[in-house]
Amino acid sequence: MSAWRLITTWGASPEFNMGLDEALLLQGEQPTVRLYTWAPDTLSLGWFQRLDEVPGADRASRRVRRLTGGGAIHHQHELTFSLTAPVGLAPYDGTVPESYERVHAAIVKALAAVGLDARLRGDDPLTSDAEATGMCFHHSTPLDIAWGGAKGVGSAQRRRGGRVLHHGSIKLGTTSLEGPIATFEAASQQVTPVEFGPHLLRGFEQELGLELRPGVPSPAERACAEQLGARYTTESWVAQR
Amino acid sequence: MRPEDRRYASSHEWAKQDGDTILIGITDFAIDELCNGNIDDLVYCDLPEAGRQVDAGETFGEIESVKAVSDLLSPVAGEIVEVNPTVEEHLEAMAKDPWGKGWMIRIKPASTDLSHLMDAAAYEEHIATPH
Repeated sequence: MSAWRLITTWGASPEFNMGLDEALLLQGEQPTVRLYTWAPDTLSLGWFQRLDEVPGADRASRRVRRLTGGGAIHHQHELTFSLTAPVGLAPYDGTVPESYERVHAAIVKALAAVGLDARLRGDDPLTSDAEATGMCFHHSTPLDIAWGGAKGVGSAQRRRGGRVLHHGSIKLGTTSLEGPIATFEAASQQVTPVEFGPHLLRGFEQELGLELRPGVPSPAERACAEQLGARYTTESWVAQR
Repeated sequence: MRPEDRRYASSHEWAKQDGDTILIGITDFAIDELCNGNIDDLVYCDLPEAGRQVDAGETFGEIESVKAVSDLLSPVAGEIVEVNPTVEEHLEAMAKDPWGKGWMIRIKPASTDLSHLMDAAAYEEHIATPH
């Protein structure tokens, strides 16, 4: 078992959410699991995406550019998590695809605990795949998690200086930008982020060997997060590509 | 065994002296970490413009696989005097020949001393050790 800190923040601003994840990537003092939601609803672009690649971006209340790759996500009706730790510490003790397999095994276990029959997509096509929307949930790979024939979990990583930030988005309901994807609601499950959180944490503990201890950012981490987070919603940051 | 004509950083970049300049690239291990043998998973690489100054350990570019963005760190300080024009458009060529055609940038270094980097044997030991 390895000791990880757990930081939970419901309804935080996009600046706080992205600033704290970057601070944890740059100078996190402990391996950290975060569970969080966003207020107001926010569209996050993948690191390399251009804003004009996401035609519906203006429909979200706010926009940010994530450090992590992949497609855009509309953060509404979902539970977001991040896992930040050094390379070499499970689940980051192998290749990038191997780390996905391990994190996704934990999520599948958590989803099963609330009655969702989720599995990795594998070679099966998904009904949620769509062209030219720029949205993460409309593009799938064999390692993505699906239920009901559609994608229900978005994942992306950033690796910098021997440390890893893994972002995940688990959809409880859909949004106007994401349409008919896999959600808890689509599977007739009414579960809130607060209710699903403990299942996800148990999955991380059992599948990844984590020993989670509730905590908060240190004063230095918080100061770093505030300084870094301020730029995330600026036009120069969002439209830099 | 990796090539012995260059030195290696713990972050998996290599540096090879070429006259009074140094070529920089990434190792096969770094590529495999990103895509686990499936080079079609490499989707994007962003390299800088020539003329930029970099410090040792500073990010000079980024590479994206289907599931991760990784920073590329310069093993030496100096001025970037040339960027490989083919890498950004042909990531598969870089992945197939990371030691030759896959070089990324050429640096005119502040110092040609590469002794702070690992030789091939030390790098082999580094990647073989869980860390």
